[in-house]
Amino acid sequence: MKKYLPVLVTGFAAGVLSVVPFLKGLTCCLIVPVAAYFAVILEQKSKNITGEFDLKKAAVLGLLTGIVAAVFGSFFEIFVTLITKNNTILNSFNEINQSVNSLPFSDAVKEEVLSIMNSVAASIRETGFSPLYSISIFVNNLIVNPVFGLIGALVGAKILNSKNQRN
Amino acid sequence: MNLFYKSKFFNLVLFTLILLWCIGIIWEVVIHFFPNTIIALPFLKYNYSLVCHREPDKLLKIGHYTTLVCSRCSGIYFGALISSFILLFAKLKKVSTKVMLLSSVPMFIDVILHTLGVYTYSKPIALFTGLLLGSVGFIYIHDALKIILVKQIKE
Repeated sequence: MKKYLPVLVTGFAAGVLSVVPFLKGLTCCLIVPVAAYFAVILEQKSKNITGEFDLKKAAVLGLLTGIVAAVFGSFFEIFVTLITKNNTILNSFNEINQSVNSLPFSDAVKEEVLSIMNSVAASIRETGFSPLYSISIFVNNLIVNPVFGLIGALVGAKILNSKNQRN
Repeated sequence: MNLFYKSKFFNLVLFTLILLWCIGIIWEVVIHFFPNTIIALPFLKYNYSLVCHREPDKLLKIGHYTTLVCSRCSGIYFGALISSFILLFAKLKKVSTKVMLLSSVPMFIDVILHTLGVYTYSKPIALFTGLLLGSVGFIYIHDALKIILVKQIKE
């Protein structure tokens, strides 16, 4: 367990920050890569690594940080939705509605999309839970977060290594 | 499979993944050709909202359609796509940390000047500064991934 402590700490922090309203938009482009970078730093400090940081190890740390952030982030998002019966999908429903309607397609096609969106919105408003929404959140987070975690950890490890080379 | 072919295959996989991601960005254009794919639009919009603020004024316009991420993010991802495409056929020079950080400077200057109100948001500037960081940043990350691949093969 101790082996995964840097990943769990930074991944959990990223997961928590990903449900904070104003920080939400930065989840992947900033929070997850920075969390992965901190995981590399924590690993370096805990193992007293003074030389070059192994890039393979950094890649694994980045991927795992992304996965942990995705699991906690999705859980918190679904939990907050369950309690508040409100979420970003409901808030952006009008925007999605408008943008679908503005597309130059037949009404039948637009109706099909909007009926799916309506059923998701209705079940969130009534019960605070929609299986389709929960699955899509979990899958999206699980695909996107590890990739950005990997990028953050690799860039972080390379910066640390070039800093170490100079010293 | 020797190292040469393995690294070529690796580059092809990376290019394919980035290409798929970039196709998602222009999904509204995809819908134009394959109308049934409109089903995926709301979910893709959510997916890309994870990585971009998606402010309507900052989205790129392609005819009647808009991209699913802002001009700056489009620049970053399409920059990475261009670099990954070039890497399929040519060997690019290694990018140092200094060069990678320097390539992000125009984008940060644009963000700061636009935020301070020195000028209004310009889609072409955001796109080109994003392209610069995306293309250089990809080569920088690719180098790290290649080191891992070579090490893995040798082990």
